[in-house]
Amino acid sequence: MKIGICASDHTPESLVANRFARAPYFAVYNSETLDFAFFNNTAKDEGSGAGGKAVKVLGDLKVDIVLVPELGPKAIDALNAFEIKSYQYKQGKTVREALYEYFEKKLPEMLDASVKGKH
Amino acid sequence: MKIAILSGKGGTGKTTLSVNLFSSLNKVTLIDADVEEPNSHLFLKGNTYHEEDINKQYPVVDHDLCTLCGKCGEFCNFNAIIPAKKKVLVFDDLCHDCGGCKLVCPTNAISYTDKAIGKIFYQSVGDNKQFLYGRLTVGEVSGVRIIEYLKNVTKKEEVLLIDSPPGTSCSTVAAIEGSDYCIIAAEPTPFGLSDMRMVVELLREQKLDFGVVVNKSNLGNDDIYKYLEEEGIELLENIDFREEFAKIIARGELLVDHSEYVRNIMNSIIKKVLGETYA
Ligand code: SF4
Ligand code: SF4
Repeated sequence: MKIGICASDHTPESLVANRFARAPYFAVYNSETLDFAFFNNTAKDEGSGAGGKAVKVLGDLKVDIVLVPELGPKAIDALNAFEIKSYQYKQGKTVREALYEYFEKKLPEMLDASVKGKH
Repeated sequence: MKIAILSGKGGTGKTTLSVNLFSSLNKVTLIDADVEEPNSHLFLKGNTYHEEDINKQYPVVDHDLCTLCGKCGEFCNFNAIIPAKKKVLVFDDLCHDCGGCKLVCPTNAISYTDKAIGKIFYQSVGDNKQFLYGRLTVGEVSGVRIIEYLKNVTKKEEVLLIDSPPGTSCSTVAAIEGSDYCIIAAEPTPFGLSDMRMVVELLREQKLDFGVVVNKSNLGNDDIYKYLEEEGIELLENIDFREEFAKIIARGELLVDHSEYVRNIMNSIIKKVLGETYA
């Protein structure tokens, strides 16, 4: 299973990002190999539809689950279409800490958009 | 002559100016391009003789034909179409109607369908005046298409007034584009001034001629006049605030029907902007 995490930098000790679609990096943790990999979020500079594009980036990385700070309505729709589940972390943690909290089942699943869409 | 009337923010008397100028001219067409909040019609009480739906197109995917090849998503610059795991997602509000995804689809799975995004209304006012206004459907993000449509159907008018959306958004740009002259409705308050500055910058970027009408000129302070002088901006007229004006506007009536003072001001603006023959 692969878990994506929105990251502000490209190490497991980096802080989690405070935005989803505009996060600088996506960390991808592979629970079979126990490895972290980091990817540039190529959606972050999109003028329009960054939410959907960011989900596409995660979909192409074959992520099954993503840990996020917030989600807009388009990102929710796109996550459903890519069959990716999302869980919400709190600010101020590192990527590694957010992942532990997910495994400890401390993070709530996100079923609805937490922020309104922006245009 | 195309004259756009605009303002830094709402509530600076832009609509009042538009409808009173309209009423002071003999042969003229007005469009209310403030399609998110049209209100000129409340003052003009014209006779609607025609209505039209404004549509935009967006793609629909036939999932029996789609192979999820991903080409449409790669093509779209607006992330409006995203092939996912088992289906293709379409965000119709992001779609700019470019037709590209249909062209690149190898299996002909994409067709387009219409969606109404608003309406335009044609009204006659008196014998030889026309008034058109648009209304954007609630929830739609951009009125640009409706504004362009309004401008297109009136492009041959001899004298056209355009009541433009306030601010400096894409809608404002669409409304003022191609104008021969722009009139900024401003107020002498600190906030009014900073909003107006942005509009001035926009008009300079667009290389459009413009002048300013200061509303409520007897309230507020002198900063606006200093600014106009420093920047070399034409002050067309001042309109004082009077208690009775507020009441007339609140009743949905025209100031020129009640006030000699406002009639003279409107004529003076018309002379300066359109020339003697129209006044
Ligand atoms: S028509 Fe153009 S903007 Fe709309 S989804 Fe297709 S490619 Fe994107
Ligand atoms: S280009 Fe056509 S076949 Fe390919 S994913 Fe898009 S709709 Fe499906």
